[in-house]
Amino acid sequence: MNVEETVSGLMQELRRGTLILLVLSQLKEPTYGYSLVKKLNASQIPMDANTLYPLMRRLEGQGLLKSQWDTAESKPRKYYQITPEGLMVLEKTKEYWKSFSARVDALLEGTV
Amino acid sequence: MNNDLIERYLYAATRRLPRKQREDVARELRGLVDDMLCERCGDRTPEEKDIRIVLTELGSPQELYAKYDEDAQKCLIGQPYYGTYVFVLKIVLACAAIGLTVSAGILQLLEPQAWYGAVAQWLAMLWQGLLSAFAFVTVLFSIFYRKGIKISEPFNFDDLPPVPQKKQEISKWECIAGIALSVLFTVVFLAVPQIFCVLITEDGGLLPIIDIHAARGTWYIILLFAACGIGREVVKLMEGRYNQKVLAVTLAVDGISALLAIWWLLGFDLINPDFLASMPVVFTGSREFALWIFTNFQRLFLGVMLLALGINAVETSVRTLRKP
Repeated sequence: MNVEETVSGLMQELRRGTLILLVLSQLKEPTYGYSLVKKLNASQIPMDANTLYPLMRRLEGQGLLKSQWDTAESKPRKYYQITPEGLMVLEKTKEYWKSFSARVDALLEGTV
Repeated sequence: MNNDLIERYLYAATRRLPRKQREDVARELRGLVDDMLCERCGDRTPEEKDIRIVLTELGSPQELYAKYDEDAQKCLIGQPYYGTYVFVLKIVLACAAIGLTVSAGILQLLEPQAWYGAVAQWLAMLWQGLLSAFAFVTVLFSIFYRKGIKISEPFNFDDLPPVPQKKQEISKWECIAGIALSVLFTVVFLAVPQIFCVLITEDGGLLPIIDIHAARGTWYIILLFAACGIGREVVKLMEGRYNQKVLAVTLAVDGISALLAIWWLLGFDLINPDFLASMPVVFTGSREFALWIFTNFQRLFLGVMLLALGINAVETSVRTLRKP
């Protein structure tokens, strides 16, 4: 068994599970894709643009995000923002994440 | 020149997306590439090398497309349909093969041709028919899968059958071998009974043991016999274990088969009269024993068949009724 490979696969799984939560949480204001990539990178949560862009489009298809082209600037950019439905999903998922991660921490640290 | 590379990349990444998304995705990605180039080059003009590095970072057009395509994770027939699909496919193919074999046999009866011609025709029919059956089942199940049509009853605890004892399990291969044997029996007796023959050394000719016309004249018995065997094996295949149903079907089928065998071998003269007449010429050595075997050939053959059917019935009974 290749330990490095297994660990990196598991880490990827963990990241994947929190991806949507993170993206929804950062789109309360209209934001375009690349600025979100840079923001996440600055927060030490690297995410590839080629993952984020298709993801935002999918979330828009599910009605959790809405988008608008801004063509007033020199570069036309597509801005995404969370919808009321997206906000509801975000709040519930956030609640779950908090209690879930707290229990995981407790288990991992052996305090239960 | 530089833009050309970006445009080619974007075209390759988006061309298989739905038409109405294509332009929007390309426009958004164009902005992204531009942002990434600015980040990388600052105020200087990006060179071809910079563009290549940025595009490499985005991944190959195929990878990018796969991330945009929501159907990328799908397959033609996935779970929970795949298992049922394979099961149904096997049975349909087996039945189609049998049906086609029977029709090829009947065709040969109606329009006799040389045995190699008949075999070639049979193979052609098999190829065409099995291909159609395969396509039909596959298309059907891919529609089930796409549309999520329910094909099984809602799960119910009470419907779960008890776990079969190891010795009560029926091997799939046993059933397939049984079906194949029935098919073979039918083909041999209907299409090419002349393969049972002896070489007459004096003039080098081949003398069939079985009277071809007499054997073909009894085609309905042969077909009934094969249908019985195939029916029994299909029931065993569906049930997958020895149980009351399999036992009942086996006993009924074996009984009918025994009656058919008696009718077939005692009611008709199937041995080639020319062969009987020329036997003294053919067998020069232990003539009397050979003579006795072939004069009583049908009765001996009947004995073998009844013995086999009896063994089958007893074995099935024992395996079904045995206490775990």
